Amino acid sequence: MSATAPIVTVNGRPVSLREVPGDERLLDTLRWRLGLRGTKEGCRSGECGACTVLVDGAARLSCLSLSRDLEGTTVTTVEAVGDDPLGRTVQEAFAEEGALQCGYCTPGFVMALTGALRERGRSATSAELTADLAGNLCRCTGYASIVRAVERARSRSR
Amino acid sequence: MTPVELVAPATETEALEELARGPAGSRAIVAGGTDLLFDLQGARPGPTHLVSLRRLPWRTHAWEAGGLRVGATEPLRTLEADPRLGQELPALAQAIAAVGSPALRRQATLGGNLGRSAPASDLAPALLALDAEVELVGRAGARRMSVDRFLRSSRSTALLAGELVRSVRLPEARPRSAYLWQRVRPANDISQIGLAVAFAPSPGLWRVALGGVPPRPVLAPDAARELAGDRPAAREIASAAERLAAHPALVSDRRATEEHRRRLAAVLCTRAIRTAVGEPRDPP
Repeated sequence: MSATAPIVTVNGRPVSLREVPGDERLLDTLRWRLGLRGTKEGCRSGECGACTVLVDGAARLSCLSLSRDLEGTTVTTVEAVGDDPLGRTVQEAFAEEGALQCGYCTPGFVMALTGALRERGRSATSAELTADLAGNLCRCTGYASIVRAVERARSRSR
Repeated sequence: MTPVELVAPATETEALEELARGPAGSRAIVAGGTDLLFDLQGARPGPTHLVSLRRLPWRTHAWEAGGLRVGATEPLRTLEADPRLGQELPALAQAIAAVGSPALRRQATLGGNLGRSAPASDLAPALLALDAEVELVGRAGARRMSVDRFLRSSRSTALLAGELVRSVRLPEARPRSAYLWQRVRPANDISQIGLAVAFAPSPGLWRVALGGVPPRPVLAPDAARELAGDRPAAREIASAAERLAAHPALVSDRRATEEHRRRLAAVLCTRAIRTAVGEPRDPP
């Protein structure tokens, strides 16, 4: 539709979408075209949150997003989220609380919590933030350590 | 095989022209895309063109003439963030909160949910109880109809080939309204039953709608008729619950048995009406 090549910015780098088919999911573009394998595929139906990335700073499911439809946006994946102080705080909170076992769901949790903290700002409550993670499933931890990581990240990011 | 193309028309006219191209079934409409993408995976033969509505100026909502007009591509997350929604249309606010996860709601739209007539939609019963109308636009012009007339069956609507849902209109604030649901898991699951109730002040009548039942959400006028006035008496609520539990739409499928659904319908009916009128959900 536009005369210039369609571009999406991924982790600060412009990526041309010219060769990307219209039905390619953002998840596949990230993992197989760009080699960013930190973003995981779980349920492929929007139920597990393992594929969560940030699009223009907000959490979004890459398994239900079309890459071509994200033309002009900025995508951040777990590989680069630590470049930002807020994302770094979230990563450290998960590490310090040991809020993972197998780790498959962790990138999705880190991205979802980073997006939630950014969206809600300093006034975020723990209840709001844990509710924001309702779309992220973990089958290992029983969530107790994740809830502690949420609280740690919240208090550090204020 | 030719790769699927995604086009994003800049205007309504261009979008309608694009939809008119190619053989039937060659164009799929992308609003939020959350429901469509799940279907596209492995669907063959699929569409050859995806028509994204993202550039159309429909990503808005506005309070007007006492009611609410929602553009078809307004994300649910934006709507639920409007504090007026919970005050004036609590049934819709509660139904939106029941959809998927926060990240999914950032993409998902009211227009997409209706346009694809998801059989277990949480939004449709709330819209039925709130007397919502859809505005459709095609090359022949625009037309409006009630959500009840619009929804035909599972994955089937009154949309003609080449038509789009442009907006959804809620005619008035209905602060006495509520939407409740029952599922196996609270988040990221499909409702076994959804129940919306709303009191329309001007005729002084209630509307009751059931969701999560095949093949589409339905109104329950027999149950609604048992309720009189803005504060129904306990015996009226009990009669409405009994009527609702006898609704023919309550059948068995893979999500719930008929017996379970009938019992849930009665319990949720009582709770929803009490929630709508601001009383404790369960009688002491």
